[in-house]
Amino acid sequence: MAADATAPPQVQLRGLTKGYQEGEQFRTVLDDLNLTITKGEMVVLLGRSGAGKSTLLNLISGIDRADAGEVILGDTNLTTQSEHARTLFRREHIGFVFQSFNLIPTLTVEENILLPLELNQRSSSEDRDRALHFLEEVGLRDRRSTFPDRLSGGEQQRVAIARALAHDPLLILADEPTGNLDYETGQQVLDVLDRLVRQAGRTMLVATHDHDLRAVADRVLFLQGGTLDVYDPSSVPAS
Amino acid sequence: MIASLWRSSLRYLWSHPWLFGLSVVGVAMGVAMVVSIDLANVSAQEAFELSAETVTGRATHQVRGAGDGLDEAVYRQLRIDHGVRPAAPVVEGYATVPDAGRTFQVLGIDPIAEGPFRAYASQDAGIELDVFMARGQTALIAEPVAEALSRAPGDTLQVRVGGRDRALIIAGLLAADDERSRQALESVMVVDISTAQELFEMQGRLSRVDLIVETDAERDRIEGLLPESARLDRSEARTETVEQMTRAFELNLQALSLLALVVGMFLIYNTMTFSVIQRRPLIGRLRALGVTRREIWRLILGEALLIGALGTVVGLALGLVLAQGLVVLVTQTINDLYYVLTVRELTIDAWTLTKGALLGLGATLLATVWPAREATNAPASTVLQRSAAETSTREAAPRLALGGVFLGLLGGGLLLIPGDSIALSYAALFLLIIGFSLLIPLVITGMATGLRPVMDRLFGLIGRMAARGVVTTLSRTAVAIAALVVAVAATVGVGIMIDSFRGTVEVWLEGQLQADVYVQPPSLVFRQADATLDAGVVATFRAAEGVRDAHTVRSVHVETNHGRSELVAIEFGPSTEDAYRIKEGDASVWDRLGSEPVVIVSEPYAYRHDVEVGDTIEIQTDEGRAPFEVGAVYFDYASDLGVITIGRPVYNQYFEDDAVSGLALYTAEGQPVEGLVERLRRQVPDGQEVIIRSNQGLREASLEVFDRTFTVTVVLRLLAVLVAFVGVLSALMALQLERSRELAVLRANGMTPRQLWQYVTSQTGVMGLMAGVLAVPLGLILATVLVYVINRRSFGWTLQFNVTPEILLQAVGLALVAALLAGLYPSYKMAQANPADALREE
Repeated sequence: MAADATAPPQVQLRGLTKGYQEGEQFRTVLDDLNLTITKGEMVVLLGRSGAGKSTLLNLISGIDRADAGEVILGDTNLTTQSEHARTLFRREHIGFVFQSFNLIPTLTVEENILLPLELNQRSSSEDRDRALHFLEEVGLRDRRSTFPDRLSGGEQQRVAIARALAHDPLLILADEPTGNLDYETGQQVLDVLDRLVRQAGRTMLVATHDHDLRAVADRVLFLQGGTLDVYDPSSVPAS
Repeated sequence: MIASLWRSSLRYLWSHPWLFGLSVVGVAMGVAMVVSIDLANVSAQEAFELSAETVTGRATHQVRGAGDGLDEAVYRQLRIDHGVRPAAPVVEGYATVPDAGRTFQVLGIDPIAEGPFRAYASQDAGIELDVFMARGQTALIAEPVAEALSRAPGDTLQVRVGGRDRALIIAGLLAADDERSRQALESVMVVDISTAQELFEMQGRLSRVDLIVETDAERDRIEGLLPESARLDRSEARTETVEQMTRAFELNLQALSLLALVVGMFLIYNTMTFSVIQRRPLIGRLRALGVTRREIWRLILGEALLIGALGTVVGLALGLVLAQGLVVLVTQTINDLYYVLTVRELTIDAWTLTKGALLGLGATLLATVWPAREATNAPASTVLQRSAAETSTREAAPRLALGGVFLGLLGGGLLLIPGDSIALSYAALFLLIIGFSLLIPLVITGMATGLRPVMDRLFGLIGRMAARGVVTTLSRTAVAIAALVVAVAATVGVGIMIDSFRGTVEVWLEGQLQADVYVQPPSLVFRQADATLDAGVVATFRAAEGVRDAHTVRSVHVETNHGRSELVAIEFGPSTEDAYRIKEGDASVWDRLGSEPVVIVSEPYAYRHDVEVGDTIEIQTDEGRAPFEVGAVYFDYASDLGVITIGRPVYNQYFEDDAVSGLALYTAEGQPVEGLVERLRRQVPDGQEVIIRSNQGLREASLEVFDRTFTVTVVLRLLAVLVAFVGVLSALMALQLERSRELAVLRANGMTPRQLWQYVTSQTGVMGLMAGVLAVPLGLILATVLVYVINRRSFGWTLQFNVTPEILLQAVGLALVAALLAGLYPSYKMAQANPADALREE
C-alpha cells in the first residue's frame, strides 16, 4: 500500500538545528531542517557515516533535544515536553529497530516482544495475541522461548522488528536495520519491513547507507552537510 | 516494577553467579561482624544486669563504707538502735571452684533479714536455718549447678578465694521462680554472713547494707544517721557505674565492626557500580525503548535490595555463630580488665538483629545510590559508545582528585575540633577514606604510566597491555582498586593501632617494673589487685635472705567526687620515682606524696574526669570526706578506668587498713633473682596461694594478658582481612569475567591459553599491587586517627606510633595474592571456552 499524499502529517520537523562542541570547535550536524512525513509513508534517510542520521532519529524520538526548532509527532510537540514526558511518549508511540538489534539479552524472544506492551501496561490477551502474531509473521514463533544469544543476526533483527511493531506505534524508526547483516539476510529483513510496515500502511523512517532500501521507500531523503535533499526513489543517485 | 524488567534483572544476577555471590558475601560479612559484636556486648551486659538484679534483689538503696568495707556496727546501729527496717547486711566477693573451673559470685547474707530483699536466700525459700547457720562454713548453690558439679546437699565443695582453698558444705539448693532467675542463680553461691567474712577476710566488716527506702524523708533521716565513713547510694546508681566501666571498650569494638561494614559498603558499591557500568549499553537500550529514569532507578535499587536482603539474612545467621565465639573473648577481656562476669549463654536481642538488618539493607542502599544515579543518567542513545564513558572518566579524574583533597581537608578539619566525640572522629575517618578514594583514578593513571616500561621489560607486549588496560578501562578499574585500597587499609590501620598499643605497653612495663621480684595473691581480675596478702607472708618475705629492700602496694576502691575509683597506696622503694613517668607536674611531688594530702593520678583518670595538676579530688575516707590535691599526672596503661595513687603513710592516716595487695622485692647485690624466687616459694605457708614472679615473669604475664585482651580486636582485624580478601577477589574476578569478549578476540588472534593466563594474572597482579601500595598511605592515615584521636578520646592514653615493616608488607602481599588468585578462574574459564561463543554478538 503506497502512502496517501492527502493523509495527515505524522511527523513535522520545523527549523530543526543540532550541533556538538568538539574541542574548541562547534560542529553543526543538522542545520535548520524542515520535513513532513505523512501517515503511512515510508521514508528512507540516506547519508554517509557521521552525516547526522542517528542524531536526527534521536531528536525525532525525543531521546535527544534539538538546539533549535520543533519536532511534532501527531498532535504532540515533543520540543516542549520534559524528558520524562518524552520518554513516556516514546514508549507508547514509537517503535525502534537498531543496527545492532539491541534485544534485551536476559529476556526470551517472547518476553522481548511483549516488553513494549508491559512498559505501556497493556496486558489484555488481545494485545498479547496481536504482538505474538508478529512473531509468527517474522517466522520465529518456534523460537519464542529462546534467548537472543542463540539466534543468528538476521533472526535477531526480525525479532527486533516484531518488537517495534508490538504496541502498534505511531511511528517506527529504524537505524541501519541491515547494517550488521550479510546481503541475503539483509534482503530477508527488507522483505519483512516491506510486508509488515509499508504494505500494512505504517509510518516509518529508516536511516541507512544501504541504497537497496530505496526499493521499499515512498520517498528518499539524503542528509548531507546538515541539510536534507528529497528524491523520488527511482531517481536517487547510486552513491 | 514492570515484571519483564525485574525478570531481566534477576536473570542478569543469576547469569553472573560469582559477582552476585561475592556481593552477598560482602554484605553478609559486614552485617555478621556488627551483629556478632553487638550480641557479644549485649550478652555481657545482660549477664551483668541479671547478676546485679539477683544480688541487689528488691533493695532500693545501699549503705557502703569508704574503702573496701563498712563497719558492721553501722548495720547494728541502723537496725537495732534506730529501727531502720527492712535492712539486710551483705558481704560479697568472688570464689572459684577449681574442680569445675568456674567462678561464682559469693553472697554472704543473714537469712533472717533477707525476706524483703532476696526471696531465694531467705527463710521463706525453705532454707533450713539449723543446717545453714549452725554448722558454719556452709553454702547454697543452684540446683542445676549441683547437678553439673555432681554434688548433693551434705557434700563438700572446695572453693578458692584469694589463693586460699576452703571447704564448704552444701547446706541446700537454691530454687528459682522463673527462667530468668534460674539463669542468674547459676552464677551465685549463697553463704552465711560470718562465713563470707571469713572467706574474704572481712571480719567485723560488711560490703554493704541493703535497704528499702520509700520516701525522701526516710532517705534523709538515714543519711543523717550514718557516720562520716559511710554513704547512702541508690542501688541502680551503683549498677550503672559498674556498667559504664566497659562503655568505651564496647564502643570501640562496635566502631571496629562498623569499620568492617564500611569496607563491606565499598564492596557493595564496587559491585553495584560495576554492574551498572557493565550494563550501560543495556540501560541505554531500555531508555531508548521508553523505560523512564525512575524505572531504571527502581530497577537498580531493587537489585541492591535483593543483594542486601540476602546478605543480611546470611549475615544475621553468621553473626549468631560468630557471636558464640566472640562472647567468650569479650567476657575474657572484661574479666581481665574490669570485673568478674560469667556469661552462661548468648542473649539473642531482637533490637540487635533489627539493627543488623537495617544496617545491612541501609548500607547496601546507601552504597547503591551513586551507581543508581549513574545508571539513570546514562543517556538514552542508539549510538552509545563505551569509549565515551572511559574518556569521560579519564577527564573527570583530576576533578575527582580535587574533590578528594577537599573531603580530606574537611575530615582533617573535623578531627581538629576539640572535644571527645567518638562519633565525630569516625565521621572524619569516613571523610578521609572517601577523600582518598577519589584521588585513586588520577593516581593509578600515573602509576600505570610508570609501570608500563617495567611491565614491558618483564613480560613484553603482554605486560605493556596489562598496564595500559588498567587505564583504558578506568571507569571499572578505579572503583575496584578503590574498594581494595579501603579494605586493605582498614586492616593496616587496625594492625598498626594494636602494634602501637603493644609497643607502648612494653616500653611502659620496662620502666614500671623496677623491682626484681613481685609477690601478689591471685586475683580474679588481672589488672585489679582486689585480694590481700597474708601479713605473715609479707613479714617473712621482707626479712628473707637475699632481699635488700621491699615496698608494698595496697589497692582499694573508694568513693570520690568523680564516682567510684581505684586508689593505690604505695610505699616508697629505692626506685619508685623511676617507675612512674610523670606527664604533667614536677618531681617535687614525690616529697609531698609521703606526708601531705596529695595524690597523683594516671593519664586515663585525668582524661576521663577532666582533672589537672592543682585540682582537688574529694575522697570518702574512714575519717569522712577529705580533699586531696592532684600533684601530678603520670603515664599508665594498666587501667583505662584510671587510678589515683597515694603515699602509704598518708593513706594510713585516712584509712583504718593495714592490708597489703602486693609486694615488690629488690635482691641484694650478687643475688640471683631466680634463686630468690625459688626460696620464697618454699617459704609460703600452707593454705595461701601466692604468685611470686621475677621481673621478667611479670612482664611476660602482663603482655600475655594484654594479648589476650586484644584477641577480640585481632579476631576483628582478621575478619576485616577476610572481607578485604573477598573484596579483592570479587572486584577483580568480575572485571576479568566481564572482559571475556576482549579475551576471546585475543584468543581468536592466536593468543595461547598460557599467554592468556599470563595476561590476565599480570593485569590483576598490577591492580593488586597498585591497591596494596595505595593501601599503605591510607592505612597509615587510619592508624594515625585511631591511635592519636579515637583511642585517646575513648581511653585517654597517649600511645607511641609504632609501624613495623611486616604490617605494610602484609598489606601489599594480601592485595597481590588475592589479586593473583582472582585472575585464576577467569583465565581458566577463558582458556577452556570456545572463543567463537564469546565472540557471538550478545
